[in-house]
Amino acid sequence: MPLKIGQFLPEPGLLLLLLLAFLGGSVLTHGAASSPDITHQPTSAAHSEKGAGHNVTKKPFPVLSLDYPHIQTPFEISLWVLLASLMKLGFHLVPRLSNIVPESCLLITVGLLVGGLIELAGETVPPVLDSQLFFLCLLPPIILDAGYFLPIRPFMENLGTILMFAVVGTLWNSFFVGGLLYAVCQIQQGDEAGLSQLDLLSCLLFGSIISAVDPVAVLAVFEEIHINELLHIIVFGESLLNDAVTVVLYHLFEEFAGAGTVTVMDAFLGIISFLVVALGGVLVGAIYGILAAFTSRFTSHTRVIEPLFVFVYSYMAYLSSEMFHLSGIMALISCGAVMRPYVEANISHKSHTTIKYFLKMWSSVSETLIFIFLGVSTVGGKHDWNWTFVSVTVILCLVARVIGVVGLTFFINKFRIVKLTTKDQFIIAYGGLRGAIAFSLGFLLKVEHFPKREMFLTAIITVVFFTVFVQGMTIKPLVELLAVKKKQEARRTINEEIHTQFLDHLLTGIEDICGHYGHHHWKDKLNRFNKKYVKKCLIAGERSKEPQLIAFYHKMEMKQAIELVESGGGVKLPSAMPSTVSMQNIQPKKPPPAKPAERALPQLSKGREEEIRKILRGNLQRTRQRMRSYNRHTLVADPYEDGFGDFLLKKQKIIQLEKKLKDMDNYLTVPAAPPDSPTMCRSRLASDPQAYSMKPDSDSVPTIQVDLASPQSPDSVNMMDEFARGARGGANAQQDEEGAGLMMKPPAAAAGEADRSRDQQKLMRCLSDPGPSADEDEDEPFLP
Amino acid sequence: MGSSSSRINSIPDAQQLMQETGFSAAHIVRLHERFESLDTERRGELSQETVNFASFVRILAHFRPAERSRGSRGGAQQELANCTSRKLQFAFQLYDQDRDGKISREELLQVLRAMLGIQVTEEQLQSIVERAIQEADLDGDDAISFDEFKKSLAKVNVDHKMSTGFLR
Repeated sequence: MPLKIGQFLPEPGLLLLLLLAFLGGSVLTHGAASSPDITHQPTSAAHSEKGAGHNVTKKPFPVLSLDYPHIQTPFEISLWVLLASLMKLGFHLVPRLSNIVPESCLLITVGLLVGGLIELAGETVPPVLDSQLFFLCLLPPIILDAGYFLPIRPFMENLGTILMFAVVGTLWNSFFVGGLLYAVCQIQQGDEAGLSQLDLLSCLLFGSIISAVDPVAVLAVFEEIHINELLHIIVFGESLLNDAVTVVLYHLFEEFAGAGTVTVMDAFLGIISFLVVALGGVLVGAIYGILAAFTSRFTSHTRVIEPLFVFVYSYMAYLSSEMFHLSGIMALISCGAVMRPYVEANISHKSHTTIKYFLKMWSSVSETLIFIFLGVSTVGGKHDWNWTFVSVTVILCLVARVIGVVGLTFFINKFRIVKLTTKDQFIIAYGGLRGAIAFSLGFLLKVEHFPKREMFLTAIITVVFFTVFVQGMTIKPLVELLAVKKKQEARRTINEEIHTQFLDHLLTGIEDICGHYGHHHWKDKLNRFNKKYVKKCLIAGERSKEPQLIAFYHKMEMKQAIELVESGGGVKLPSAMPSTVSMQNIQPKKPPPAKPAERALPQLSKGREEEIRKILRGNLQRTRQRMRSYNRHTLVADPYEDGFGDFLLKKQKIIQLEKKLKDMDNYLTVPAAPPDSPTMCRSRLASDPQAYSMKPDSDSVPTIQVDLASPQSPDSVNMMDEFARGARGGANAQQDEEGAGLMMKPPAAAAGEADRSRDQQKLMRCLSDPGPSADEDEDEPFLP
Repeated sequence: MGSSSSRINSIPDAQQLMQETGFSAAHIVRLHERFESLDTERRGELSQETVNFASFVRILAHFRPAERSRGSRGGAQQELANCTSRKLQFAFQLYDQDRDGKISREELLQVLRAMLGIQVTEEQLQSIVERAIQEADLDGDDAISFDEFKKSLAKVNVDHKMSTGFLR
């Protein structure tokens, strides 16, 4: 027990320390903001006097001076970002807390504290959640992250449901809340707060602001509860797509709040405007997405700036659509979703990792900042608390959401194959969180048109707090209580992939037989179109023809191989034990070889050995020389990646070899390890001397052939041929029947070539990241 | 309703089919119309394999969306053609052409070859098949039995994947 407390104590202490440090910093900077004027005045006075007559004593040269306004804005921004990140760090140090309370709540609390402290220090709280800042800087990273990693398949499958909830649900919510609020206000005649002065349009505007489910809040809360994919995508998709509705309603009511009335014509125009906003946003996003995909086709020589294209094109899509008052969120989503498959096929693995981590980093920081600012702005803003208004708003929001969800589900279930149960409906209704978007939209309201702006803001903040705190905190236990299906964490297996594709084909056929133009039919058509035309334009080189299953298989193999190397395991895989049943291309059992398996290395003549050594030395030197020059653009070669392709082929060889040897009933003795290729030396961990404990015997020499991927040096090619000949001549005839033998099967040479070139391309993509400094072929490190 | 009831009577074995497969009368009528439009030569059967209307309906019955009915559980559920295990069995049979109850390497290879066709080399197909069997084969007989097949599809929502709305 004492030990536990001792461990526990430092963490809140650390938190507090961080908080105080930050606050000290921020208060000081605010204080310091006023002082530079003083320092400036004497210097300017000195200058003017100097100009006047040189009869003034020269001030001593200021060795150290404080010049805060010079760096004020970036400094404050960095300070806020630092606070946000430190807070995030701090929460995860206290595991118990982060289990009970979702991060968003904690962050809002921190914001409240910071705002409170700033107020106590006597400074005016800066209006940090400035709408400009929010919509242009804080929101796009989160949405881009969501859009780029959107699981397309479940999204498309449930698109009808999502659209229903987003469009019809939001409309229903707005009108219900706005209308009833107006009614309630009218009842309050003679109220000193002047509630009855609220006209219908203002109420409807307020309703439309408050009824939109917020993607940031939903993401923040749903991330932690790991709910099943269907519910997650429905609520999340709804929060993304309702942006179009919100934009239209907001602008519509805002425009006419001045005018006072809305005619039928305006309503009709509103509907048209909605279609334009939504489809326009999607179109703008798609155009930028295609541009980005096309650009990425040509980036094979400048891999270092690849991620930049993704970010810049997406941001431009967002800004362009905001320029036309189209839905920026939908533009971002469609840009990310459209560009992703093509960009990922074109860029290197390192760029892919970069994009992933940058997006996650920015969206994480943005989210943290948004919640903190929400807290700060709550303290700082002027408030007009009105019990009736606020409480009625909260209640109406809840009621409207529940009724909306239940009603819509009843209607939707008629068209769904997998129906939404009551539990699902409850989670969908409960997951309708409001967040910072509502607050920012409210902030944008002008006081001249909306005299009750402060009251609106107070009510919005209350609803946001209520949903984030109450609903956010209780949703996790409720999910447990209701035993809602959780997300399945396990990785997708290749079996699933094969069978899923198989069933897709099957269903497409069945739909064709039935004459039913269903889901699969259109998906199939889209896939064909994609394969035939689009992929050819947007994907560079050989990858355009690679079927999805193969890409998936390679991804899996890579992941497994990298894991294996990282864990220091040998080439031998525990699950790869071949069974005693021999391979499918059954060939009659070969008689056991004359020579036992120990006869590992083929007998090479002295002369040949010398040749080999010379080649090795020569290539080794070249590699070393290249690495010596430092270049900012060089991405350091990753030892794991270097040895990787080598490793894959080794593994395949091993499997084949094991099978073969099992047939031979020979005990597999581990021969003396031949001298390691430098590749292997580099990829070996220092602590693991026997990383490759089991070397394939006769195949260890041909393994070097892996460098066939880099055809630049004729030496290597010759070497291969030599070995092939030597091995084939020297050892058993069984060498010829190796199934996956890329080089050894003479009759399959043609197929081998094609395979080799494909592998070569893959490997080149893998390794082509040592940036522009590679004036020679990029596959140098591969050479032993 | 009068016309459709006379139509349903004109279809042979309609009542029996309805009971077997759980289709409603309207469905049977629709399927019959479809069958007749496919059967251009009016032979009463499709393609060379003499698929008559009854087997046509029986096969398509597998693709009806399974109802999540609370009432009939257990025994009654098993007989319905569109329950999950029957769907899986149907898919399994498509793989397992020699009907030995297992998907061997060759059968899996054939299916993959048909799906991926000319774009892939033989070696790649072999490695994929190798890996697939490694993953799924739990009893080490180097083939995938029906149980292993079911287990590997445990995470896939088979009801959803193997249903088409037309046959609701």
